[in-house]
Amino acid sequence: MKLSWIFGPSMEAHHLLYAYVTVWLIQGGYAAWIAWHWAHTGRALRTQNPDRRDES
Amino acid sequence: MTRSRIYGLVGFVWFLMTIAAIVYATRLALVVAPTEATMGNVQRIFYYHVPTSMLSLLFPYVNFFASLCYLYWRSRDPLKALTADAVAIASAEVTVVYASICLLTGMLWGRAAWGIWWTWDARLTSMLLLWLLYVSYLMLRKLSATGQAHTLAAVLSVFAAIDVPIVYMSIQWWRTQHPAPVFFGGPDTGIDASMKPAFGYNVLGWAMWGIFLLLFRYALERRRQQVEQDAALQAIEASLEIAQ
Repeated sequence: MKLSWIFGPSMEAHHLLYAYVTVWLIQGGYAAWIAWHWAHTGRALRTQNPDRRDES
Repeated sequence: MTRSRIYGLVGFVWFLMTIAAIVYATRLALVVAPTEATMGNVQRIFYYHVPTSMLSLLFPYVNFFASLCYLYWRSRDPLKALTADAVAIASAEVTVVYASICLLTGMLWGRAAWGIWWTWDARLTSMLLLWLLYVSYLMLRKLSATGQAHTLAAVLSVFAAIDVPIVYMSIQWWRTQHPAPVFFGGPDTGIDASMKPAFGYNVLGWAMWGIFLLLFRYALERRRQQVEQDAALQAIEASLEIAQ
């Protein structure tokens, strides 16, 4: 089956597309948020104590 | 090779395997699985909605056990309590993420299948309550300034977990707009064999993704705790130098 129908004009196509976009936006957004804080906190850790070897 | 590098490598390999599983599962759900006879293509939301809903009822139990461990260890072994606390906040956030997706995809499916976005039936209401409970758990931790926020949040988490079996059983205990259980609901329940691979791979992929998020968020929280401990130690050292 071809995937092009998902971009069609019907409500079922719209809602299926919105559902999949919602999933990827929320999951991807949360993962990006963690990654950003991970990098930011790592920098803070190295600034506080430059001799520390990261064991987290 | 240091321990943190080994963890990082394992995490990266897990991440790649997860992405591969999700991409394959999405292809199965959108392209390979047959179109359902009654609802048509909108039924394909099922392959995201149901696995996500199942997982949103599992992560609260991780939070529940971590909170119990935190309450047990907080005066006996503070270092273990910190570990349990990191697991608790990670699992609460992942619960909110999965419950949000469950509610939103359910509304999108409901509007197309029933003609309404929302109805106050037992399943939808108890699921919304679950979402609200874990959002309040996170807000309590974030906004409370009493110094007892983690303990209060752990107690809230123990009570929040009571809602999980209510959500699960709601479609068996009460008549609801929401359909009866697709799995384990009796002799006439289940899905067609041709739909099972798409469903199974979506469960696998999103479970792997949830575990990845949980462990990544846990590692972040442990790092934050380390930053706070280092800052506290530096403050103590500075105050001792001033005293001398």
